[in-house]
Order: sequence, then structure tokens, then C-alpha cells
Amino acid sequence: MSLHTALVKIGEKKISSEKAKNFIFAEKNGAETIFVGRVRSNNSGKKVNAVTYDAHDKAVIKSFQSICINAKNTFDKNANIFLEHAKGYVPVGEISILIAVGSGHRDEAFKICRYILEEIKHQSPIWKKEHYAEGKEEWLPGHSLRPKEDIK
Amino acid sequence: MKIKLRLYGSSKILSNKDILNIQLPNNSNIESVRDILSKIISEKKLKDSLDNLPKTAAFFSEKDEIVNDNYKLKDKEFISIIPPIGGG
Repeated sequence: MSLHTALVKIGEKKISSEKAKNFIFAEKNGAETIFVGRVRSNNSGKKVNAVTYDAHDKAVIKSFQSICINAKNTFDKNANIFLEHAKGYVPVGEISILIAVGSGHRDEAFKICRYILEEIKHQSPIWKKEHYAEGKEEWLPGHSLRPKEDIK
Repeated sequence: MKIKLRLYGSSKILSNKDILNIQLPNNSNIESVRDILSKIISEKKLKDSLDNLPKTAAFFSEKDEIVNDNYKLKDKEFISIIPPIGGG
């Protein structure tokens, strides 16, 4: 098994970098990259307390698998990839996404990590609602999956 | 006919439930759903937050695949609205 993808319901489970490191380790690999995304305390001048992540679970897992397999086929077929994304209410400072890659060489390890992150933003049906210190909350704008030519 | 629209992301502002029941004329398609959504957004005075939703949203069929505006809906069909995404 060289690929692990999951949506993690925060409150029931945690995203663990130790689990990720153990998963991607292999003696044949000379490089490991780990990207950790966290909920930050401010956005566009507003103080943020937390973010709620909503997701279309089945489509997200399908997209994660497809993105990671494409990454392996493009950069390193033997790479080990661990990808988890949070779902639900995530307080400031907590992990929202973790991508860990074990690969033969550093260039491929960096490229796979970056590729997966950017493709998730463009393919995976996940949404963010920010909760502000002032008490308001707001769904953030994003990338439309409707073909551009159809948007009039 | 009636369809059930499963709400995600910003579209959850439309209802306090996860599913919106929508009444449509027989043989309606996704374009009809966009029109109905525009009416609902206008009636509920949600233009400030959801004005672009009817034109920017994609829709998934029950097979979780994107369907185009000509997709013919069946009575009691479940579809999902996919507002612009932003994970990561």
C-alpha cells in the first residue's frame, strides 16, 4: 500500500503527522516532504476563531485518489503518499490538511506535494466557512466546477 | 414533479436542512433548477450572499458526476448542488 487518503471528521479523530511519517517511510526513499496546512487567526483583516469545512465525501475521496494516482504517474510511480483533509469545525491552529510524500529524490517529493495541494483546490468539492471573533460567519468564495464557457 | 437538492457549502444558507425539496414542471432540466434557485434567493432576500450561486454552481447527479444544463431530471431524483469549491 503506497497511498492513503481520507477525510477526517474533527472532534472524532485528529490528523496526525506521526501517522503520516510512519506511512511514507521506506528505505528505498531518499526524500520526504510534509505539507501541513493550519487554520490561521486572520483573513482579509478579520480575526478568525475557526473554520468549518464542508465536503461532498464520496466525490472528495474519488478526487483525492485520482489526484494522487496522477501525481505518482507524472513524477514517481514508486512514491508513497499520505493525504488527509479535515471536515467539520476546526479551531485556529489546528491542522486542516496534511500531505506527506516519500520519494526517491527531493525534486519529485516537492513536486508531488505541491501538485496535490493545487489540484485539491481545483478539483475536490470542499468548502470553508470562517467564524469570526466578532460573531459573524461567512462562506468563502472559491473555484467554480461549472465549465467557464457555460457561465454567462 | 419534485426533486431533492442536497446542499453543500454556501448553498446551505438557503435552508436550515441539508436537503431542499423543489417543485418543477415535468421534463425539467438543470437550467430550470438554476431559474428556481434565482427566484428562491430573491424571495428570501439572500442576494447579498448568494447572487452568483445560480450561475456559478455545478450539479452532481445521483452518480456523483457533473451534469450539464440539458440534463433531464426525473421525478423524485436526488441531485447535489456544488457551489464554487475552496478546500486545502
